[in-house]
Amino acid sequence: GAAWARGLLSWARPERWLASGSLFPLSCIHTSTSLQKIGKWEKKNRIVYPPQLPGEPRRPAEIYHCRREIKYSNDKMWYLAKLIKGMSIDQALAQLEFSDKKGAKVIKEVLLEAQEMAVRKHNVEFKSNLHIAESQTGRGRYVKRLRCHGKGMFGMMKISRCHYFVKLVEGPPPPPEPPRTGFDQAKEYVQQLRNRTLVHTL
Amino acid sequence: VLVLVSSPLPRLRALLQRCWGRLERGLWPSVFGGQSPPWGPALAVQGPALVPQGINDAEALSLPESMVWMAAPKHRRTIEVNRCRRRHPSKLIEIKRNIDVCPECGNLKQKHVLCGYCYAKVKEETRLIRMEIYKKEGRPFNAPTVETVVLYEGEKPTEKDEGKRIIERARKRPSWFVQN
Repeated sequence: GAAWARGLLSWARPERWLASGSLFPLSCIHTSTSLQKIGKWEKKNRIVYPPQLPGEPRRPAEIYHCRREIKYSNDKMWYLAKLIKGMSIDQALAQLEFSDKKGAKVIKEVLLEAQEMAVRKHNVEFKSNLHIAESQTGRGRYVKRLRCHGKGMFGMMKISRCHYFVKLVEGPPPPPEPPRTGFDQAKEYVQQLRNRTLVHTL
Repeated sequence: VLVLVSSPLPRLRALLQRCWGRLERGLWPSVFGGQSPPWGPALAVQGPALVPQGINDAEALSLPESMVWMAAPKHRRTIEVNRCRRRHPSKLIEIKRNIDVCPECGNLKQKHVLCGYCYAKVKEETRLIRMEIYKKEGRPFNAPTVETVVLYEGEKPTEKDEGKRIIERARKRPSWFVQN
């Protein structure tokens, strides 16, 4: 009886029928994940470049990965993201393993997942040959809750969550920029003075 | 920051009135450091007479003497100022330079700390040995007064282990557990 009813309902589902106008049946585009919006960072993995010409230098592989709604504060996560920016993936994993922060464990998992994805799907040859090009945090959904103090007073606290985004690029990490010395600043100043021209003249 | 909601307002008013009462009766002489209080024959504010503005009037009358009250920020700190403080190099996490590779297992370890993997390995084996000991003893607080020797598969007790208690473990001897 139940199977018959289910069979009837499945027959009656409109998306199972032909799509508007076309003769081919609708493929399962509307899965459960379409109800939640797919973020921009996740879509960055889907871009496909045209094939490279024989003379061009090889384009390094880029892997975008993120984790949403981590139960941690955005500001605190930022310090960890700033720590690993620009490091090689091995160095980043080493630093995060011995960091005492809660977000370090989460970021380590994200990096390992991204490394795995890189090797399996993005045609990366050596899993150590990756460096972190970008690592950012975003704020997730906050929830306001009551926090009880003494003497019947209460305040509102916010339970904060954050997102973490990382972009791995194949290749060794770029060398760090040399710090700006006074000599560089002086050179720039003199150059600015030299660039001045006379306006509204002959 | 404590954000007060309207319901505890009568309590705050009662608290302020109590504080005022104490000050006027001289129960807090130390507030002015020994000098006479700056107010002389000032007006006394009756709370019930001015029901909704009770707090505001009390604050307005005590304005010349409000210097003795709490410190509060005068202006909002802009996000630029906040960023300068939050992103100062002293507040950023320093990179650790004391991370090495464990020669036994190849995992990472800090120089002054035992390797986590090797420690977990030893801890697990110790737990299994302790389970065997518990099975042999039967109940807690039943430890014998002799030494204990752990023997793995295919090992016989030597003449050194004459009077000792022997715990058998049904596996090959691990490489890190050296036999005496």
